[in-house]
Amino acid sequence: MVATLAAAMLVAVASQRQTDTTFAVPAGASLSVNNFGGGIAVHAWNENRVKVHGDVGRRGRVEVSLVGNTVVVKTGSREGAPSVIDLDITVPRSMGLTLGGTYADVTVEGVQGPISAETVNGEINVRGGKGIITLHSIQGSVTLADASGRIEVNSVNEAIELSNVTGEIKVETTNGEVTLTGIQSSSVDAGTINGDVVYEGTVTDGGSYSFGSHNGDITVSIPERANVTVTVATANGDIDASFPLPMTSTAGRHRKTFKIGTGSARMELESFQGDIELRRPQEIRERIDEHKRDHHNDNDNDHDSDRDTSFSSHFDAGTWDYAARYAKAYAPKYAKAYAPLYARTYARTYARTYKRAYRDTDTTSH
Amino acid sequence: MNDLWTNRLSEYLDGELDSTERAALEAHLATCGACYATLSELRGVVAYAKTLVDSEPATDLWPDIRARLVQGSEPRRHASGVRSRRFTFTVPQLLAASIALVLLSSGGAYMALRPGTSKVTPQPAAVRQQGIMTVANVDRGTTDAAIADLQATLTQNESRLDTTTVRIVRQNLAIIDRAIVEARIALQKDPGNAYLNLHLADTMRRKVELLRRVNDIAAQS
Repeated sequence: MVATLAAAMLVAVASQRQTDTTFAVPAGASLSVNNFGGGIAVHAWNENRVKVHGDVGRRGRVEVSLVGNTVVVKTGSREGAPSVIDLDITVPRSMGLTLGGTYADVTVEGVQGPISAETVNGEINVRGGKGIITLHSIQGSVTLADASGRIEVNSVNEAIELSNVTGEIKVETTNGEVTLTGIQSSSVDAGTINGDVVYEGTVTDGGSYSFGSHNGDITVSIPERANVTVTVATANGDIDASFPLPMTSTAGRHRKTFKIGTGSARMELESFQGDIELRRPQEIRERIDEHKRDHHNDNDNDHDSDRDTSFSSHFDAGTWDYAARYAKAYAPKYAKAYAPLYARTYARTYARTYKRAYRDTDTTSH
Repeated sequence: MNDLWTNRLSEYLDGELDSTERAALEAHLATCGACYATLSELRGVVAYAKTLVDSEPATDLWPDIRARLVQGSEPRRHASGVRSRRFTFTVPQLLAASIALVLLSSGGAYMALRPGTSKVTPQPAAVRQQGIMTVANVDRGTTDAAIADLQATLTQNESRLDTTTVRIVRQNLAIIDRAIVEARIALQKDPGNAYLNLHLADTMRRKVELLRRVNDIAAQS
């Protein structure tokens, strides 16, 4: 085995812009990757081999070694400041992953082992995973789909989205939305300070569910035959349900308890400023689909308007005057409303564009 | 919230209520969301506290402890010689307990980054040994002080982080601070409100955790 991996030892030389190596790994081996900046993309295949591909530029390098039963992939720079390196790694499907970076986007696709991913400035997008799954980012959204196990997901300044996830779930961000759909769990704890929380999933007898926000709305699905005691608390928001709620107690102005069915599961819904909505699962699914369609159309419209410069000829002077007054009256209001909605999207788009531009400059200027 | 039962939750959790009291409390829990929420918090704190690892102190603390207890009775010891952990809280203590546990668990990074200490300075054994006592005595004042310390440490180590990260962290700390201020104002108007108390405690916990996490990142940079 040592000989196998020794042969696979990879150090990119200066003349190479890319590195590529494939080597066998023992059963049960895990992967540890540390990439300061760029991307870490991990895919799965049904072979007991690991393939490491790296776009390293002129100054970057990639090192692969075996420490114990762990394949360790490290990136570095041959000189000066750290390089931006994109890693594309293919691993056995059940391999456990520990992925870390500072300015790195992390993508995992199809792996069915435990996954730990942590970055400071970058997105984390994982499809798959089984066992203990921990995903942490400071400045970057985190998405997880088709996973099962004990899930812990954190961001600070971006949204978190989980879909088709099974197991014990703990999710927290500060400035972003939390959207959980297709969840099968008896234990969910999700919260944010500045953003909405949406939950669409099972409510299992004996389960425990907690959703909280300071500034956002909480929307949860309650299946038709659920048995749950729902405690709802809000300081300044409203409580609304699309079905009758049998109240069992009220504690002060801010907290109410409802018992649905036998009340076996416990659910706590708390928002300081926002509203709390209890809906049927189908209503939430439709709302999410609608939101996605709107978002898609918005992007299309933006794209069209960027290119279409001929509309001005359709307006006469009177219309222009009206438009000018309208714009003056409503621009501050709409700017205020739209800036928080679109700032993150545009920031991400521009960050990707300029990262590529920077990388191209970096590789062509030497 | 029913004060009669709220103050018995800890005993309930420790299995110290007789069967009649236990049945009565469980009946009350089925109809009182506030007490149930408090019990859930208490369970979480106890579960987390039980995960803290017992460590041998760097020095033998017992002579000092015994000297302080000289006017009292000797502590009872279990026959097995192993003291089981027992956690009893009043509600105000509970509000701060989760924050304190976060602080205790984050002690490593905090101590590592604290000015004048080595990066590898371990968490003082005395702090670990006295953890329960610290939890029981902590209040929001000490939490504020701990946050101030963590924030000062971060300020001193910001140069280890890039400017974008520092800006993002400051923005998010400001978001949390606004939430804390709003919760405090609401509490001034309604001091006995359990939800507001728990919300404030949870928001402060988030601030501690963010500071701890960023200090961890700075320590690794």
